[in-house]
Amino acid sequence: MKDEKDEMLDELFRNARLMKPDTGSVEEHFETRLLAVMEEKRNDQAIWSSWTWRLVPWLAIFVVIVGIGSFTIDPVSSSDLFVTFTSSDDDYQITNMLAGG
Amino acid sequence: MISTESELPDERIIEDILAGKDGAFVQLVSRYKRKVFAMAARFARDRDDLDDICQDIFIKIYENLGKFRSDAPFEHWLSRIAIRTCYDALRKRRKERGHVPLDIVHYQIAAESGEELLVAEEARTLLEKGMSQLNPAERLVITLLELEEKSVREIAGLTGWSETNVKVRAFRARQKLKRILEKHHER
Repeated sequence: MKDEKDEMLDELFRNARLMKPDTGSVEEHFETRLLAVMEEKRNDQAIWSSWTWRLVPWLAIFVVIVGIGSFTIDPVSSSDLFVTFTSSDDDYQITNMLAGG
Repeated sequence: MISTESELPDERIIEDILAGKDGAFVQLVSRYKRKVFAMAARFARDRDDLDDICQDIFIKIYENLGKFRSDAPFEHWLSRIAIRTCYDALRKRRKERGHVPLDIVHYQIAAESGEELLVAEEARTLLEKGMSQLNPAERLVITLLELEEKSVREIAGLTGWSETNVKVRAFRARQKLKRILEKHHER
């Protein structure tokens, strides 16, 4: 049920509704400003995208150098696939000896 | 009869925009900017804020236009994006709670006499002060319900909240406003 305060609030809203925001002056040339902002956004995205693509060859070169480096500095001493993965050559030989292999 | 560009249906304009015609987007903006500005003006602090909010709304519309399905009117889809963007703007400046909007947005007055005009102006100022102390969700609901005169169902559709949620938020907002106004009258 509505009390006196509710009625006061309703009256306030009723009066406030008589005033509608007049945005006419802010709307002027809005389309021009909007397209400029959108163009700026597109350019920013294009710059980021072009930099990303420019970095791809350098990244590829880096990966190749790291790959070559890892093979030349620490070459795999055994051709056994299991040893290659586990890198536990000694353990493997001991196990083989105990098992009579 | 030759149809002019301004008579083109929204769906046709949207097809043109998706085909990459920026001119068609300008046409869509011109068609709906008045509605969007009127809605955003209820939540903006000043002219710059209003301009920023409206730009955000139309950029979101442009970026998401491909997701629009013609099963509902375009205007409804646009209103939902506009309301959510206004809500985000309110949430962003939550830290500035208690901030009273600068009186830079002008108002059209439907009052007939000088006295009515004064009462309306006072009511608007008082409500703005009160509403600036509500949280974003409450402010959004009470503005749509009492100033834009939308129904609970319409607000639920626009915000994505349940009707019960809208009613609860409206009730809390009214309670808070009543307390604020009570304090104001005590002074």
